[in-house]
Amino acid sequence: MKKSRAKVAWPFYMMVAPMAVLFFIFHTIPFLQGIFYSFTDWKGFGNWEFIGLDNYFMFFKDPTIRQTYWFTFKFAFCATVLVNLLSLALACGLNGKIKGRGLLKAVYFLPYMLGTLIIGFVFNFIFGNVFPDLGKALGIEALSVNILGTNKAWLGVLFVTVWQSMAFNTMIYLAGLQTVDKDVYEAAAVDGSKGLQRFFKITFPLIAPFFTINMVLSVKGFLMAFDQIMAMTGGGPGTSTTSISVLIYKRGFDGGQFAYQSANAVILFVVIAVISVFQLKVLEKREAKIN
Amino acid sequence: MKMKKMVALGLAGSLVAGTLVGCSGKGDEASGKADSGVTELELFSSKMESVSTLQSLVDSFNEQNPDIKVTLNAPADAGTVLKTRMTKDDLPDILAYGGDNRYTELTDVGVLIDLSDEDFIKTINPSYMNMLYQINADRDEKAYGAPFATNASGIIYNVDLFKEAGVEVPSTWDEFMEVCETLESAGIQPFEFTFKDGWTTLLSWNPMAADLQPENFLFDRKDGKATFTGTHEEVLEKYLQVIQYGQADYMGTSYDDGNRNFANGSAAMLINGSWTVPELKKTNPDINLDMFAYPTTNDEAKNLTASGIDVLLAVTTQCKNPEAAKKFVSFMLQPENSQQYMEEQFAFSPVEGVMQEDESVASLAKNITDGKVVDFSDHYYPSGYDLAAILSEFFLNRENGMADQENIEATLKKCDEQYDILNVN
Repeated sequence: MKKSRAKVAWPFYMMVAPMAVLFFIFHTIPFLQGIFYSFTDWKGFGNWEFIGLDNYFMFFKDPTIRQTYWFTFKFAFCATVLVNLLSLALACGLNGKIKGRGLLKAVYFLPYMLGTLIIGFVFNFIFGNVFPDLGKALGIEALSVNILGTNKAWLGVLFVTVWQSMAFNTMIYLAGLQTVDKDVYEAAAVDGSKGLQRFFKITFPLIAPFFTINMVLSVKGFLMAFDQIMAMTGGGPGTSTTSISVLIYKRGFDGGQFAYQSANAVILFVVIAVISVFQLKVLEKREAKIN
Repeated sequence: MKMKKMVALGLAGSLVAGTLVGCSGKGDEASGKADSGVTELELFSSKMESVSTLQSLVDSFNEQNPDIKVTLNAPADAGTVLKTRMTKDDLPDILAYGGDNRYTELTDVGVLIDLSDEDFIKTINPSYMNMLYQINADRDEKAYGAPFATNASGIIYNVDLFKEAGVEVPSTWDEFMEVCETLESAGIQPFEFTFKDGWTTLLSWNPMAADLQPENFLFDRKDGKATFTGTHEEVLEKYLQVIQYGQADYMGTSYDDGNRNFANGSAAMLINGSWTVPELKKTNPDINLDMFAYPTTNDEAKNLTASGIDVLLAVTTQCKNPEAAKKFVSFMLQPENSQQYMEEQFAFSPVEGVMQEDESVASLAKNITDGKVVDFSDHYYPSGYDLAAILSEFFLNRENGMADQENIEATLKKCDEQYDILNVN
């Protein structure tokens, strides 16, 4: 690839320009508007006044906010670790020459094709009716109540989220594994490397870029968890499964706190951006070191 | 390379935040006068349950008034839709909305037309007009809406199961607890609770709080002169007593599941509102139901029926032809039209002389015509005050084995904290 200062053909600009304009109108402007309103006391309608940083001060005093951040981080951490561990294992298995590989791939990919809301409602039914009936029939106390109505509700939501999210991550890992040259394995075999050692010394380093992208996307996605929670618990019982996004939606649109929740959204954006940049830096450094 | 990635990430992030923070863009143009000389009006309803009844009323209005065309719009999650449209200054012409704190907000920003001098207001039961004045932003005696239908909450009971256990409808708290005991010893589960849907926790809170809290509490609380702590202990104590008689998985049963169980005879009583009756009848058309007022105290005279304005009709300032809109409101409040709505929706009419005669809600209907009613307390809490979440946490604490006294204290403290946070705005 030679860099040249030669004139770039106009079709390239034509392809980018319309999207840039649309992006600016529909994303950048509302985003800036949101930041603007976070300095006001706007309820979502009617008159408003500038109140400076009051919304941000309130943010740090509000116990509900603390609770939702704690829940969201706990949830995102567990979901990211579980999803990546499990989908990496699945991908390695599916990359092997096992029987029924094509069918299994399709089966594992299925959850991704279904809408999160639909999955949420289906599991709502399973947790609310199927499991309790099963628990009662088998005489298992813990299984005989709807887990979504207990303080373990977040585990129910976590289970469904992991189950669904694994599909996409598995696919990315699988794509990564297929880029690994077979010759490398042959060479490794000659040197006497096999099993776990082969995985950690060869496979894993070679799919490092895929690991990076999966980690970043997972963390970002889980920090913004919304639909599965709305479908399964609505943030309850109490506020025990209220994620930041759910809080923004509930309080911002329904609770007349448009401006305050805009401040919350701005902070969430900053938090996610910082975490993602940090992840990219650390993980890319790691990639660079091994490549 | 790295820089580019960061920029891309930043943009992606702003995309994310953008969808969360603001929704811009213009909606449909507000309907105005069409070329044909027909006035087009949009009726925005917050109740999806009543769509078919409203539609048939709208149709007969349109038939009688060829120069006016009313279109019904009843979206899901109407509160949010209306709020979003308000942000865009795109209000419907006529609102059919609940008499809750959203109405208070609407009167506060002054987007509703004053209907006080209209003839139809005079046909409405004064106790409901008072209720309406109480939820005006500055509590003045102006009608920014006309109460159209009211609902009532209380205790729905299975008449056959009551007969089987040989118990009568209780009218005091002690009798109420006795009934629960007797039912339980007869092997009948007294209550079916549906707390997976948090809002159903409010159905016991509302009548208990209304009857047990000090007079004027709601306004004193607003002005910071009173707190939940010190005034609402009895409410939660009694609530805990009631809860003992529920099913084991009362926290994990959803409204739909609970209704289905109850309709199939799982329990003798269900604490909910008149709006639940059609749902139960749908599951089991043969079920023998009646409702009674929540007996919250031992003083029968104090046990009022919690009844609120379920639907009020209001005309917005953005309506281009207020006279046509008023004509529609007046039409809806005519006795025969009101009657049709009440019969189909198991609701109660605030219009004098229109009676709810269905026996499923007969006992409550009498209280309502006698004016033994009190509004739902939560209609007076600030908008966004999530009492349902606080209460369901209260029961979660109970399930986690927290001592009752500690739990009550912590919960009431939380009630006050949350209230104060929202009250400043």
